[in-house]
Amino acid sequence: MKTKPRILIVEDERSLCLLYREELEKEGYQVTTVLDAASALQALNTEPFDLIISDIRLPGANGLEFIRSVMERRKNVPVIINTAYESYMQDFSTWAADEYVVKSGSLDELKKKIRVLLEKSHVAA
Amino acid sequence: MIQRHAFPLQELQPDAPREVQLLSFIGQIFLQPFSLEDNLLALLTALTAGSGVGFNRAMLFLVEGRTLRGRWWLGPPTPEEACTIWEVLSTPGIGFVEIVDYNRALLERREGGLSHRVERLSYNLDEGRDTIPSLSARRREILHVRDADCEPLVDEGFRDVIGVREFLCIPLVSRDDVVGEIVVDNAFTGAPIEAPDIRLACLCGLIAGNYIYTSLLTKKMMDMEKLAALGEAGVFLLHQLRNPLTVIGGFADQLLDVKLSESKKRRNLTIIRKEIKRLERVIGKIGRLTRLNSGPVVSLDPKSMIEELLALPAIKVKGRGRHIRFECPPDLPDALGHRLDAAEAVRNVLDNALEAATWGGEVVIRCAGGPDRTVVISIADNGPGIAPGMRERLFEPFATSKKNGMGLGLAFVKRVMDIAGGRVEVESREGRGTEVRLMFRAGGKE
Repeated sequence: MKTKPRILIVEDERSLCLLYREELEKEGYQVTTVLDAASALQALNTEPFDLIISDIRLPGANGLEFIRSVMERRKNVPVIINTAYESYMQDFSTWAADEYVVKSGSLDELKKKIRVLLEKSHVAA
Repeated sequence: MIQRHAFPLQELQPDAPREVQLLSFIGQIFLQPFSLEDNLLALLTALTAGSGVGFNRAMLFLVEGRTLRGRWWLGPPTPEEACTIWEVLSTPGIGFVEIVDYNRALLERREGGLSHRVERLSYNLDEGRDTIPSLSARRREILHVRDADCEPLVDEGFRDVIGVREFLCIPLVSRDDVVGEIVVDNAFTGAPIEAPDIRLACLCGLIAGNYIYTSLLTKKMMDMEKLAALGEAGVFLLHQLRNPLTVIGGFADQLLDVKLSESKKRRNLTIIRKEIKRLERVIGKIGRLTRLNSGPVVSLDPKSMIEELLALPAIKVKGRGRHIRFECPPDLPDALGHRLDAAEAVRNVLDNALEAATWGGEVVIRCAGGPDRTVVISIADNGPGIAPGMRERLFEPFATSKKNGMGLGLAFVKRVMDIAGGRVEVESREGRGTEVRLMFRAGGKE
């Protein structure tokens, strides 16, 4: 049986975690949500993930530092930055994240980018 | 022995040399709270008023990009009006307000006015073929034309507008650039332009050039500061609005799915409602900052104000697990402030202190008489203190280190205190805690 692609979502807003989980599970992904960077690092140590979606401003750690440490640990796992701040986009290339999606009332863009990145790394739902 | 003299000069001395009169006039113009435009017009008045340089008319060009563009032309359109105007401007006791009003009226006048004629004139400063106004600006030289009719460098358009044979072009130069040009003539008296007139006009040109340059530079800097502040505020607001809008949009989309269960529909509506309330709170907080009471201040009893705050259920909930100590001497004077705003300002500070103190921490509220007839309400916590990077920005709107804060609390406190004629001081040490002192003016009972 084909395994579902596993996505880790790091987002400190509970409502958004719930929304993302429901919407991405409908798309055929297996979703884990965590509220802060420490829990995310813990999850990464115990489970394998095919893609990570993370906010930039996270409690307890700078989201950028978290993303950097994720990159160091899991070099081949694509990362999508999902934030309300458009302004960080200018620094996007320096962070080496794979995609940058500004939060919006429609999740279409986020879903599309997840699909493309997973296809590139040969993981499909 | 020290002699004291009033500053600035209030009256022009009629027997003083013309240079002194002119410098006194210009010096006083720049002290007035008028706009750059009004001050430049007043400067043109200095060039044309009897007590100033005494030319009949003065035309002003300003440089926009690489174009020298005609802006205003001050002076009477006919010799008859000239007599009346000079009489008015020479009236003893006439002040800058009257001069500014008079200039504005002259500019607004379309029929018979001069300015609309000069607005037609513009010269490219990069062009190869120079004419008199652009040559003066490009070379940064004063050009005295004695016979415009015989001077090939005076173009026909300019000759038609100015209508006189003799005139003087004075470039307005600053340290780095030419910012404009003044052209003066004696159309009505026909008096020849002499060397002392040229020297005085030069002085005006130098002062005006540097005044325009520094004014534009200041404006540019202020605009940049405003833009930067607006940019920061905008980024923060976007974040505050975008998160709830993402939640609302996502859960609203799910509602469109006909297969969604009734229980999930109810859940989604509850979430959407909660996020809308969050948006309302954001908007309400910004609105609160802009709707401060500007009415008269009243006498407030600090003791009862604090006691009422401490009795609020929300404060009691926030204060759980914290030791709150309140000290207030019995003979404290009243504080002057706006009742609701002052109470809310104190509450904001108290909220912050209770949050900072965390479980088991301590918050001390002290009321006391302060220096210079002030009443001080001090609220101190033993929390982690304010991070050094945040200290300079504490009172800026939208500056916050809290994950869910909007950074409007202390901005509000500062505005309340400013409006009430008081002030706010913050002392914070990392790891040791923070003390905020609200210093009200004392009033009422003592």
